[in-house]
Amino acid sequence: MSLLAVLGVISSAIYSGTSLLYTTLGEVIDERAGIVNLGLEGVLLVSASLGFAVTKTTGSPYLGILAAVLAGGLMNMVFGYLVITRQANQLASGLAVMFFGYGLSALIGKSFVGAKINPLPRYVLPGLSRLPLVFSSLFKFDFLIFLVVPMAVLIWWLLYRTRWGLGLRAVGENADTAFASGRNPKRIRYQALLVGGLLAGLGAAHLTIAYTMAWSEYMTAGRGFIAVALVIFSNWDPLRAIAGALIFSAAVAFQLLLQSSGAQVSPFLLNTIPYLLTILVLIVWGGNRKQSAPASLGRIYLGSE
Amino acid sequence: MKNKRFVMVSIVVFALVLLAACGPAPTAAPASTAIPPVIATVAPTVAPTVAPTVAPTKIPTCLIVGALYGGPMNDAGYNQAMHESMVAMAKNIPCVKLIEAENVPDEAGAKTTMVNMIQQGAKLIFATASNHQNPAVELAGTNPDVTFEIAGGWLMGANYANYYADVPDSWFAMGVAAGSMTKSNKLGFVGAFPMGWTSTFINSFELGAKSVNPKAQTFVTYTFAWGDHAKEADATNSLINQGVDVITMHVDSPSAVLSTAESRGVYSIGFQDLAAQQFAPKGWITGTGFTLGGTVTFLTQSVIDKTWKPIFLRCKMSDGCMALAPFGPAVPQAVQDKVKQTLADLDSGKIVVFQGPLTDQNGKVKVAAGATLSENDMGSLDWFVPGVVGQAK
Amino acid sequence: MAQTADPPKNSGFFYQKYLQVILRNLVMILIAFLLFGIILLLSGKNPVLSFRDIFRSTLGSAYGFSEVIVAMTPMLITALAVAFPARVGLINVGAEGQLYMGALFATWGALTFSGLPAWVLLPGMALLGMLGGGLWAFIPGYLKSIGLVNETITSLLLNSVAPSIVSFFIFGYWHAPRDTSTTSNFVKSARLPTLFGTRIDLSFVLAVVLLVLFWLFMKYTRWGLEMRAIGGNSQSARRNGIPLKIYLVSIMCIGGAIAGLAGMAQVSGYYGLLLANFSIGLGFMGFLISWIAGGEPLGIFLISFVVAVIFTGGNLLQLTQGLPYSVINILLAFTLFIVLARPTFFSKRRRS
Repeated sequence: MSLLAVLGVISSAIYSGTSLLYTTLGEVIDERAGIVNLGLEGVLLVSASLGFAVTKTTGSPYLGILAAVLAGGLMNMVFGYLVITRQANQLASGLAVMFFGYGLSALIGKSFVGAKINPLPRYVLPGLSRLPLVFSSLFKFDFLIFLVVPMAVLIWWLLYRTRWGLGLRAVGENADTAFASGRNPKRIRYQALLVGGLLAGLGAAHLTIAYTMAWSEYMTAGRGFIAVALVIFSNWDPLRAIAGALIFSAAVAFQLLLQSSGAQVSPFLLNTIPYLLTILVLIVWGGNRKQSAPASLGRIYLGSE
Repeated sequence: MKNKRFVMVSIVVFALVLLAACGPAPTAAPASTAIPPVIATVAPTVAPTVAPTVAPTKIPTCLIVGALYGGPMNDAGYNQAMHESMVAMAKNIPCVKLIEAENVPDEAGAKTTMVNMIQQGAKLIFATASNHQNPAVELAGTNPDVTFEIAGGWLMGANYANYYADVPDSWFAMGVAAGSMTKSNKLGFVGAFPMGWTSTFINSFELGAKSVNPKAQTFVTYTFAWGDHAKEADATNSLINQGVDVITMHVDSPSAVLSTAESRGVYSIGFQDLAAQQFAPKGWITGTGFTLGGTVTFLTQSVIDKTWKPIFLRCKMSDGCMALAPFGPAVPQAVQDKVKQTLADLDSGKIVVFQGPLTDQNGKVKVAAGATLSENDMGSLDWFVPGVVGQAK
Repeated sequence: MAQTADPPKNSGFFYQKYLQVILRNLVMILIAFLLFGIILLLSGKNPVLSFRDIFRSTLGSAYGFSEVIVAMTPMLITALAVAFPARVGLINVGAEGQLYMGALFATWGALTFSGLPAWVLLPGMALLGMLGGGLWAFIPGYLKSIGLVNETITSLLLNSVAPSIVSFFIFGYWHAPRDTSTTSNFVKSARLPTLFGTRIDLSFVLAVVLLVLFWLFMKYTRWGLEMRAIGGNSQSARRNGIPLKIYLVSIMCIGGAIAGLAGMAQVSGYYGLLLANFSIGLGFMGFLISWIAGGEPLGIFLISFVVAVIFTGGNLLQLTQGLPYSVINILLAFTLFIVLARPTFFSKRRRS
């Protein structure tokens, strides 16, 4: 492969991996607090449709991003009400949120299918502007792309270097113990879901406002589930999630490159690799007992009233 | 306990709906359309639920027409073009009542939708996606008084036939435009599926490009979906990253592909609907779109006049079934003239796109000297001409 | 991703005072419809007409009713595929993938042995479908039994793999000459016979038979009664003389085989061919239904019916109200939300 091809794959991976990484970071926070959100797909769809609709209506992609972020937080609060306050089963509630998202986003986005929006402005990476256009256009990014890695570092810092993060992880490990040591598991879980939802909203906003610049029904096409897989793949670690999201999107980009090079490799089999890789990683971790899943992940905290 | 509770919920719902179903007799059905139910087993309750969204008109309804689309009808692409042709028809023949259903991608769903339309009194159904053909033909057998027209179909019978524009020729002209404009000699084509018609379009595009620029190559990637915008953006970026500087596509909606091409500063060529141009104001070269309003009007009128016959209807650009979009600001006059001349030559038969001898990428002869491709060959074509980079199957 | 599954209740449903129960459930349903009505109002549609359309198009005619049965059939089977492993505490979120693999294997049978008569071919396809689904469930089952990976995660991940494998075979080998995203139509002998001139096919009968068998097994066999105790701890298993690992793997595989059967029924009955990405969520729906019903066969039947009414009614809403078809998912979700939230208007008890 030529240098251009390698750089091309990296560029494609960064473009398409950004929304995935934001979403994954959100799910890392949810799961660190002990909550699996299978409804991520629905959260993304509602955020994406609302973000796109607001961008189209107001003409401002920034307002659109704001709307998408808030919608993500709100959707996760609905989910939180079910699983935290009402103590409903997390998997079932997540799937219910998913179906809700399918429906609500279709309704919100109906009149915005095929609409044209003002996209986010893109900036050439400083120092690359003197390169030939072929190269510099590879690394011309919008601000959400520039912000995604710092965001991952910030989330890591929040989780591992702040009292809030310590409390959050304690709740994810064992809510009863956390309660005994003076923490409020329900409040912490709500906070985690809120932050997770805002991040998912950011991911959805990047997908629809900055990346595809278009809305269509069910346009996330399984990205919510990919994010759930990526959280596992990255071992519930925000920094590893960067690598996970990049590898995942690079696989997609590589597959497309192979296609248009006339290679005889089935794109469908290549599509399965990330998932199989995640399972493989789980098996290796399982064997070494190195897996660091939050211990009370998915367990309902019955409270102490 | 919650489980039992829901079981009880369900029992209550069950009882309620049964009551609702059996209880009130078919109260006076909305008058305007007294069309008898088509299928004997259908209770009269369902038949004429008049759509409240349709503005009440004073003109008595002469025909109820059903139209179903594989995707959303405002997609600025194929489905919008099909929808616009229906709207044009309804405008031309004001006594027609149009009922439409969008997002009907698969056969089983299409069947349900068409049965619902027939129960609403539809006597003519336009099925606009290729997946609609089998269920349409099946329902044609059980509903001999309903006429089915399938856009892009190929089967015909006593009460079903098909219509479409003659698309491959227009792709040759688009190839001429692309081949004249490219600087890198690399053209990119984003396809939905590796299927016969898409491969035919790609071949026609490459042959056109090569006719003006022997070095032009067409790189092909597929999204494996008619409307997955994220995959379309992925595919477009991937092509551009390989040095492609003209992008075109055969997916339902041009919005994601052309928006991405525009944001990366490359040229684009539209297809499906003339609305595609809005997505690429700077990089726009030109494009084609379906304008089948006249055809649909003709077919509908013939059903009203009871003169309808099954015909294999294909109409050319010069018949008004496709239109050439305006050229973009970057296209020199010489290129514009060349494209227009090519279209005229195609129309007059001076240029025949798939004129043998033609070989595939490996040099194997696919169309012998003196022969041409038939419509049937095009529908199931699975090879690319030299100069196309990618897999046709 | 441990999951606290709810213990099954084997006692009857009707021990609570009828009036109270009916009242409570009426209120719950009313809330769901009211919320959906508000959404419809907000989007400028007439809720009353919409609700009338939903009920008329599903229960107002023999045809509509038959379509409801058609829609509920795969849900019945996939719900059973989740409910059976759930008895021993195994969480099978993978019915979606198992459904695809069942459809894949059954299609191979239909395409390869198209010359055989129906009475050989159809049972053969059913067995192949069960083999496909069972094999797909073997992976999470095996990984769980050796204590490596939780079956919830693996079965969930495999859901995303199966549709790609199906597409690989369709696009690569089996596709129709004109449309590469589907196979050609199956021959007549590979189609499940339909009943009463409707689209209801034999798989509905099969689903009901399976549900009844499941109920009898749970209620009247020693195995069925002790399933949870056995799955719960290895000592109990030893007492019953059952090797735990093999036990868990087989139960997971049986669940997968049932989901595979649903896949076979979809291609052989409903579609009559195999097409790429034919199911968006049938397996997930099965999971939801089974979970809400607490694995009870009667509950599965009734809830599937309600869900099928909502889905089938959605189709007409599009024609008469100009609403996107997916909007019906909102009504479904509201119903689920309210069930999941378990409102406590009439009951002091918060949780079992």
